Amino acid sequence: MTGLAILIALSPLTGSAAALAGARARLAGAAQAAGAAAALGCSLALLVILDGHAPLLAWDGFLDVDSLGGFFLMTVAGVTLLASIGSISYVAAQEDSGELSRFQVRLYFTFFGIFASLMLAALETGNLGLLFVLVEASTLASAALVGLEGRARSLEAAWKYVIISSLGVTIALAGTLFLFYSGSALHLGSNLGLTWPYLLAHATALAPQSLRLAFLLAVVGYGTKVGLAPMHTWLPDAHAEAPSPASAMLSAALLNVGMYAIIRFLAIAQARLGGTYPRAVLLSFGFASIVVGALFMVRRGNFKRLFAYSSVEQMGIITVALGFGGTLGLYGALLQMLNHALAKAVLFLSSGDVALRYKTREAGQVSGLLTAVPVTGAALLLASFAVLGSPPFGLFLSELTIVRAGFAHGSPVFPLLLLALLGLAFVPFARTTTGMLTGNAPQLASPYRDRSAVAVTAAPLILGLAALLVLGLWIPAGLDTALRHSIAVIG
Amino acid sequence: VESLSATSVAGVLLDLSGVLILLLAFACLASKLFNRYVVYYGAQSVVLSFAAGTAAVAFHSAELWILAALTLAVKGIAIPVAARRVLVTRLALKRDAAMSTGLSTSLIAGGALTAFAYLVTRPALLPHGTVAAAVVPLSTAVILLGALSMVVRRHTVAQLIGWLIVENGVFLGAITLVATFPFIVEAGIFLDIVAGVLIMVVFVSGLTRQLAEASAAELRELRG
Repeated sequence: MTGLAILIALSPLTGSAAALAGARARLAGAAQAAGAAAALGCSLALLVILDGHAPLLAWDGFLDVDSLGGFFLMTVAGVTLLASIGSISYVAAQEDSGELSRFQVRLYFTFFGIFASLMLAALETGNLGLLFVLVEASTLASAALVGLEGRARSLEAAWKYVIISSLGVTIALAGTLFLFYSGSALHLGSNLGLTWPYLLAHATALAPQSLRLAFLLAVVGYGTKVGLAPMHTWLPDAHAEAPSPASAMLSAALLNVGMYAIIRFLAIAQARLGGTYPRAVLLSFGFASIVVGALFMVRRGNFKRLFAYSSVEQMGIITVALGFGGTLGLYGALLQMLNHALAKAVLFLSSGDVALRYKTREAGQVSGLLTAVPVTGAALLLASFAVLGSPPFGLFLSELTIVRAGFAHGSPVFPLLLLALLGLAFVPFARTTTGMLTGNAPQLASPYRDRSAVAVTAAPLILGLAALLVLGLWIPAGLDTALRHSIAVIG
Repeated sequence: VESLSATSVAGVLLDLSGVLILLLAFACLASKLFNRYVVYYGAQSVVLSFAAGTAAVAFHSAELWILAALTLAVKGIAIPVAARRVLVTRLALKRDAAMSTGLSTSLIAGGALTAFAYLVTRPALLPHGTVAAAVVPLSTAVILLGALSMVVRRHTVAQLIGWLIVENGVFLGAITLVATFPFIVEAGIFLDIVAGVLIMVVFVSGLTRQLAEASAAELRELRG
């Protein structure tokens, strides 16, 4: 079992190894995809083995995987697989056209693998200090991806990303310190005492005042990585400037890792402080993010920015769901995270194809996508519907669950507000994407070398949409158990 | 965790170092010249490494000795020297570290943040009489002052050093309770900082070069 966990974290490094050995984009991408597939397979196996049993614990809690961790591992590994397949054709096309030099291609796959590996490792540790180290390291690795294209805009975005996120994560580290201070009655001498299951089990001995501060700092700090307003300012720039498969990784994997850290802190805070204080914190940040995301979507322009602001909105919805709490709220939050990850990965990957073909990232300069590039156009259309929460896709189901959780927890004001904001966000998003999909189709030269590259571009889009559709119609029994076990872990 | 009492020799020295670190954070905030700003940051790191050494003696911890030596070598010497050499000389930065607010405004804000740090951490503290009770408000104030430096400074390198001041504040808090982080985590944090500085310097020099090229291109267009 320990070996399995190590394998999950290390297997994405295949792409890095291939790139460092000097492989070109196609080969390095294929190695990356193979590694990601191995990671996904292993995390599914781990989830089956765990199945509500005692968590996997080794090395004084430095390695600690329970059902919740397993669920996140599966999500992140799945997104990594989709983005890796998307990288093969995207980066190869940029390499062929000379937009990326060979050095940049090697840099891309080196950091892509390290980034994925660090995120998976962050989900596998129980030590809160090591969690910080891995999350900060993943920030640095992904910053290299954001600044990869080396233009003034992308360097500026990368700078903004790395400086704001580093500050945020450092604030989360201060929150971790305050959590330890709150536990000074526990005499946290051993390494095991610094792991979150130990702190959760001994939550009643924590000092409530410093725990309150610790939770707030953790939400602000890790919330910076999640993209919660008002700490979201790095997010649209970084998502817009990164190569599209890297944007998919940021939006669909990295944000979830930040949310995972918040959930861990939430569990401890709830066990000691009760629900009122954490709920107030989460609902404030959550609704602020939904409002900011919805408002900034109105501006037309770069379509990747649009998707990025939609991520801010979606993370707000998930935070609100965590704030509603209860079994229903947590179930909705986790399901929403998985669904959003799939939908956003498809959206960003199809936006990559659009950017390659139209040679622009401006929504106003793209038209007739459905006629010009039917597969990508259809994927963009369906994923847009999915992300806006329309049936039959998974997000409809999870958003319904979240609204139900809101009504169940008391005041109907918040769920009604949530519904209104969801409606508000629908209009600008749909307006921009419709403009891209319909209209006159221009004559476009294919950026890809051959038909197989086109097929590789379409593969992750179809895979992601199929998974979204399945999750909208039916939640597999295995996933349902995994979600229930995860909720039991949070308590 | 054995907590140091505030009246022991090590406790007094740690407390004193904390005060000095806070004062140097204020000095960073107030310095108008870029050179001074970097020097104050270096001095702060030297004091921090002294504090880590004190804690190492008090807790009999070999690991803290290593961290103290690393802090001195990397944060106290290497980063300030490199910042001055590479960035000030080679990138021909203006010696003036531009601020987006007035000096007095930022100092008043700094004072308010320090008061706020005491207000927030006081009731949440360890039992009275421990050194952590004295140092944690100081380290919180340093964290807030570092963040303030990041906000008011316009230049990217100045913002980077602001982040390093925040890190110093966190590290000061961490060493007062020696057992909070195992060595591997402390070493990981250190590695993160070094990698962070390297990658940020790459971005900064890339940006500076791009901007220089852009202005050169403008010059070429205005001919005749």
